[in-house]
This record gives sequence, structure tokens and C-alpha cells, in this order.
Amino acid sequence: MANSEVDILKILESKLQGKPVQIQPGLGKAAIIANGGLHRDVLKAMLEADEKTAVSAITGIDLGANLGVYFHIRTKDSLITIKSEVPKENPKIATVMDLIPGAAFHEMEVMDLLGVEFEGNPNRGHLVLPETWPEGIYPLRKDVNPNEVKLNPSPPEEKSEGKLVKIVVGPQHPALLEPEKFAVMVEGEIVRAVEPRIGYVHRGIEKASESRTYIQDVYLVERICGICNTCHATAFVETVEKILKTEVPPRGKYLRTILLEVNRLHSHLLTLGHAGLEIGYETLFQYFWRDREPIMDITEMLTGNRVIDSSIAVGGVRRDLQESDIPKIKSVLSDLRKKLPFYTQVYENEPSLKMRMQKVGTLSREDALKLCVVGPVARASGIDMDIRKDEPYEAYGEIPFKVITRTEGDTWARMNVRMEEIEESINIIEYAIDHLPVGAFRVKVPRAVPPGEAVTHIEAPRGELFYYVKSNGTTMPERVKVRTPTFSNIPAFLQTAIGQTIADVPPNFVSLDPCFSCTDR
Amino acid sequence: MTNLAMWARLKSPWVIHFNSGACNGCDIEIVALLTPKYDVERFGVKLEPSPRHADVLLVTGAVTKQCADRLKRIYDQMPQPKFVVAIGACACSGGVFQGTYGVEGGVDKILPVNAYIPGCPPRPEAILDGVVKLLNALKAPSPPAPAKEAAAVVLKVEAAPAAETLQETKPNGKQ
Repeated sequence: MANSEVDILKILESKLQGKPVQIQPGLGKAAIIANGGLHRDVLKAMLEADEKTAVSAITGIDLGANLGVYFHIRTKDSLITIKSEVPKENPKIATVMDLIPGAAFHEMEVMDLLGVEFEGNPNRGHLVLPETWPEGIYPLRKDVNPNEVKLNPSPPEEKSEGKLVKIVVGPQHPALLEPEKFAVMVEGEIVRAVEPRIGYVHRGIEKASESRTYIQDVYLVERICGICNTCHATAFVETVEKILKTEVPPRGKYLRTILLEVNRLHSHLLTLGHAGLEIGYETLFQYFWRDREPIMDITEMLTGNRVIDSSIAVGGVRRDLQESDIPKIKSVLSDLRKKLPFYTQVYENEPSLKMRMQKVGTLSREDALKLCVVGPVARASGIDMDIRKDEPYEAYGEIPFKVITRTEGDTWARMNVRMEEIEESINIIEYAIDHLPVGAFRVKVPRAVPPGEAVTHIEAPRGELFYYVKSNGTTMPERVKVRTPTFSNIPAFLQTAIGQTIADVPPNFVSLDPCFSCTDR
Repeated sequence: MTNLAMWARLKSPWVIHFNSGACNGCDIEIVALLTPKYDVERFGVKLEPSPRHADVLLVTGAVTKQCADRLKRIYDQMPQPKFVVAIGACACSGGVFQGTYGVEGGVDKILPVNAYIPGCPPRPEAILDGVVKLLNALKAPSPPAPAKEAAAVVLKVEAAPAAETLQETKPNGKQ
């Protein structure tokens, strides 16, 4: 692995010779400073060097006179950041969506929140801000106090136009647990276009984290998403630990790994059940949720809370694992393992389930790479990306496990990837408990964080979760950027829904395991 | 007739769930209520997809600016008498999101609330307890009057040109 790291930077150096581009250490594998439109050349060189190159996130940041636009690019085993700056008076930068279409959504977010104009990206208008939000006010700029913004009146209701019939799903809809709106344009039964309107859960967490201390921020980012809260907390504290140059004790790393995998188990069981509900297979939903309850009991035993565990702290974990709890955890896991063959049988062979899921929402490997999808969605399309394996964090480097991939790329494959991952998670937890190192599980860290910046990506249940933190030497961060897995996966739904029937929309949609409180923040 | 309706309402309250900006934590606990371990349907509590058929509105999450209008609209579509239960710290007061720019506040800024269930998230048993307490209160000789109209006014919006608002914001104003 070490060789390929050297390689990609060497390839870049040779390809970019003669261009005013600086390669520096930091922000992932390296930070490449490329101003004046050179970011496109760097990205082009990276795309040629590695087919798995994808846009992880685009961070917009207010640097005073300039606005920084950082393209965080994921290669097969590292993160590389391309840094560009544009003047605040005339914030224009060339788009990269023609090089890699998955970047379009990320660019729209930076346009919405920081007002950087991506020339060549045709999408305009609000992505996450409320539709009553006035034009020309960008909440993530430092000189804007978004609490004083006066909202416009609500726009009128939308109507169907022409031959296409507009079916509006949401914001309140029986199939959605969360308030989001998708306007599905249908001609007869066939979907012709999907217009998303996200932002119903946009609370402004990135801005809010700038006025809270690092300790408070851990609790804040956990509440970005109640389902994968442990992943959010871990990604945030890992980023802060990188700036602090703190090393977490081995026992802390193992305990975090256990918590992360328990989190994944409950999330996957939840989704597998929810998918049953969406295709009208309610018995399956009830079964999965029945078997999810013991996992919630484990979470409660380990952390003291069922859902939001608040157990991850900067420097380690908050609570140690009690020796007396281990038999209970193991018995719950072995009970779940005994039930897995039945569920696998249902998901692999049940004819009615296959009829609703096979060949629904098929995403080819090429499209998956282009759209920068992550997690089980990418793995179901034959891309073997798993941050736990590619760039091990916590204790994953020491624990053996398989990366599950499928090649079909449809809804059925995505659900089956999750089904098989449950077994891997059980193995990881059992291995981690058996090999738990002794010693401290937390180290003390200072409250103020020295100036610096860092990026982290981890494998949440839904895919790659990305965090960028910039500190300014105080107890509060200067900028926190969160890019959640669902945000990267939505373009896949928008593309695969077209041409299929309206009845295929719910199973296709749920197979992404969408989480909008994550997406909107 | 009124007694019959009240009897039906107490024995089988139909609830509708709306997430007005929650993190999913409270929502998955509400769904957990329907599943075998807790199984509220044995008490006649039914999760109803349409506001037009529901007696009780369960709201989770701090009310975001984008959702406030929709929450009010859903409440307006429910038939009388109707009751609102705020579930979770965010729905009760805004919780950890108090003062963020996307959030309006707790549910009681938009709608009259009949019962508050705090917790982050409240356990399924706590949610069940809250709903039972609301039902018991209705059984009392003088039940709390269901609100006729939403007391609070949604989003005092003023149409202001964008340029003007920009000038009004303080330079270097911290949130």
C-alpha cells in the first residue's frame, strides 16, 4: 500500500511539471495548492492515474479576503486535497462536474452556503437552505449573522405541467420517516424525471459548531444523525485528535471499534426491515426490528443510552467495557448469528421479494464511479471500496474481515451486501472483545486546540463519512465541514429512477438507506 | 354521541407522526414502539399516514424554518378535536439546536402542545407513558380543551430586498 501512495504523488509530480502547483504534506495524503483554474488539471491527472478517483467532498471556507474551495479527492487508498482560492468580491471558479459528474451536488452546496459560483454548473437556487431564504446571503461567511436574516414569503404551490404529471412525495409522506420532498414527473406509469428538494432538516450545524467548544461539538455532531451517531462522533474526534497529534490508547481504539460495529449492526437491521415495509412485506419488517432490540440493549449496556450513545470523547471513550457484560454481549451476538441463515434465505431466494428488487434501480460500475457513490451502494455495483480496509482507522487494521461486494448493482444486490455485512460485523465485535488490550481507554487532552486543519473519512453504515476541521488555537473550531454518505448517494437515485415505473421508486430509494438529517445537517 | 366519540378516541387513538427536523433518533424510537417488543397496537394506538384521519400529532425534532409552514399545514388538516405531543428534547425546546440559523425553536412556537416528552431520545416506554398520560387527562371530568386554532403565528415573514438585509447584518457578527 505504501508504494501506491508514493506512486500517485510521483505520477502527479511528473504530470504537473512546469505548472505553478505546490504539493504539501497534510490534509489527507497531501494538499495540492492549485489556483487560477489549475485544480482542473490536477483532477484530470488524478483521474487518469487511478480509476477509483472520486470527489469525497468540496469544502468552502471563508478565509477573510478570499474564499477557499477545497476539493477533497478520494483515491483508492488515500485522500488528497486540492486547494484553490477565489476573491470574495468575485467568487468564480471553474466547475469540475464535466470531469466527474458526481461533483455537481457538492458544488451546489458550496454555491448555496458560501456563494462561490461554479462556472459551467447549470444548477442554481437553494439546495439546503429554506426556499424562503433571500438571495445573496450566505450563512457560512464569517461576516454574515444568519440569525438576523429576514425570510421571504413562502412561494406558491407547484402545479403539473404539460403531458407529464407531477407526483409530489413529501415532505410528509407515509413512506418517508423524514421530511423531504421529491417531485416525481411521470408519463403514465413511467418516471421521466425526479426533482429533489432537500433541506427540510437543515439546522445549520456547520455554522453552529463554530460557536461551540470542541467538547460541546461532539454532542452536536452526534445529533446530526440519530442512527449513525457513533460514526459522526468518531469522525469528528479523530479529526480533532489529528490536529492535537493525540494518540488514543489501544484499548480505547478497540472499544471504539466495538461501538462502531454495534452501530452498524443496528443500522443495517433497521434498513433491511424498512425495505421490507416499502415492498409491502410487513412481516419481514417486524422480524428484523424484533431482532434489532437486543442490539439496542447492548448499546444501552455499553454506553447507558439506547440510541444516541454519547460515548466517544476526544482522546478515547467515556466508559470502559465491564468484564461482567461480555457474556451477555456474546450471547446476543450468537443468537443473531443463528437467525442470519433464515434472513439470508429470505433475501436471496424469496420470489416475491426478488420480483420487487431485482433489476430495480440498476447502477453500473462505470456510473457508480462517475457519480462518486459510497458504501454499500458502491460495493453492490462491484467497487471494492471500504475505508475500514483501504485506510484502516481505530483497530480495523488489526482485525480480519471481508469486504462484501456484488456485481448486479440493483436494489437486491444492495440489500444483500448489507445482509452479508451483518455477519462480518458480528465477527469484528467478537474478535475485538476476545483481543481487547488492557490499559487505559482514554487520555487527557487540552481544551484549546492548536491552529491547524485535518480531514478524516471513515466507513459509516451508509458509506464514507467525511469530516474537515480547521482550528484557530482557541477552544472553538474555525470551520467544521461534514459530508455525509447519503449526500453522495442521492445522485444515484436521481439517475436510476428514470425510465422505471413509479412503483419501483420506494424500493430503489430505500436501498440507498437514505438519511436526510445527515444530508441536510 | 360525544361520549361515544370520546370512548372511541380513548380506546383507539390514531396518531400521525411528523418529523419537523429531527435527527432520526426519536423517529426510530417511535417506529420501535410499533414493533414486537413494545407493540402499541395492542392498546389500539394506530399510526395513521394521513393527517385527515388522525387524532394525535406526534412531532419530533426542532422545527426548522423550511418545515414550520408544513407542520402548521398538517395540523390544520387534522379534524377536531386534535392533540399535539412533542417528543424529544428538540421538539420540547429546540434542544441542542437552539439558536442555530435553520431552526425556529420548539414545537410550541408553532402549535399549541398538549404533552411534552423530554429525552434525547426518550425511550419507547417514555413515549408510551406520555401518550397514556394524555389519554388519562382526557378521561378527567373536565378535560383540557383541544385548541381551536394554532395560537402561535408561523414565521413572521417580511418581504425585504436582499441587498437591504445584507447591509443590516453586523460586520464580523458572530453567531
